[in-house]
Amino acid sequence: MTGDVGVLASGGCHIFSGCGFPAPGLQDFNWKPFFSIGSFHFTKPILLAIVAALVVMVFFWAAFRKPKLIPGRMQSLGEIAILAVRDQILRPSLGRKGDSYLPFLVSLFFFIYIMNIMELIPVLQFPVPSRVGFVWPLVFIVYFLYMYLGFRHQGLWGYFKTMIPAGVPWPIYIILVPVELLRFFVFQPFTLGVRLFGNMFAGHLLLTIFTIATWYLLSLSVGLAYAAGSFLLAIFVFLLETLVTLLQAFIFTTLTATYIASSVEPAH
Amino acid sequence: MSNHGNEAVTNEAVTRAQEQAAAEGRAQGLEIGWTVFSYLLAGMAAYGLIGWLVGRAVHVALLFPFGMLLGLGISIGYIIYRFGRQPGVGRPVVDRPRKEITGDR
Repeated sequence: MTGDVGVLASGGCHIFSGCGFPAPGLQDFNWKPFFSIGSFHFTKPILLAIVAALVVMVFFWAAFRKPKLIPGRMQSLGEIAILAVRDQILRPSLGRKGDSYLPFLVSLFFFIYIMNIMELIPVLQFPVPSRVGFVWPLVFIVYFLYMYLGFRHQGLWGYFKTMIPAGVPWPIYIILVPVELLRFFVFQPFTLGVRLFGNMFAGHLLLTIFTIATWYLLSLSVGLAYAAGSFLLAIFVFLLETLVTLLQAFIFTTLTATYIASSVEPAH
Repeated sequence: MSNHGNEAVTNEAVTRAQEQAAAEGRAQGLEIGWTVFSYLLAGMAAYGLIGWLVGRAVHVALLFPFGMLLGLGISIGYIIYRFGRQPGVGRPVVDRPRKEITGDR
């Protein structure tokens, strides 16, 4: 992170003190590396992504290490988590036949959710998907699975044939082919990734703006009222983000489930 | 007493079926919404690109925006054709789970 927030933290930068508002921006998403190996820089978002993966793995390992008929506290929590994904995300798209994809969808949902919620946890306070480089690998994994399942269940030709609905006159096919190809290979994965990235990026920026503004406006003047307003907005955005973090993980996983469904069942 | 018990079980099954129907509707709505958005972008990009390439070849710069508008028109037409006539869209899907309750499946 650049020095803006550092200057604020040192307490010198307030309204009417001759200090301009240090508006947050792209620089607040760039982190100084903890260490570097050649051109590879190990930064805070990488650390948070690893922590998120570990949290998911350790939680489910602890919950189902020794499953019992009468579940303990951890197992009950794990079961609630798995059933929530199964009943709200998997079953509505794939039905009972799709239960074999449950481990993938549960992992995906909680990995994204933990990465998102880190935005709201003090000290961590950074949503990993607000760095778009962490989103594209997830999109790639989903899209690779989507295509692989499509080819496996419908064959190469059959898979591409399902992209355009049957029964349309052949000249229409020629018109639609560029649209369909671009939608399938470019815009569908693009919107899948950019939605997650954009929401987390914007949310973090809003939180940063109102938090810094609260501190900046804090002074024994009319600024105090503005600071109070800014503080209320920061609280509001915080509460909003608790929903957005969950919603974005939900949307990403639901769309993944619907993509898998359309690959496995072409008529879906 | 057993009637009350059966009623409670039936009510629970109805509630579960309604929740499932709502979840199905949500998933379907999400998929359609983002597919439509992708079609709109893809139509403009595809025909915008074609228009730009043809425009470059024949030195008519106007073909680029014209291609984009044409692509947008094609996308909108296709979206109406594909999703406007799809049965069940915009209608609550409460009929399917009812079958499950009565033991049809």
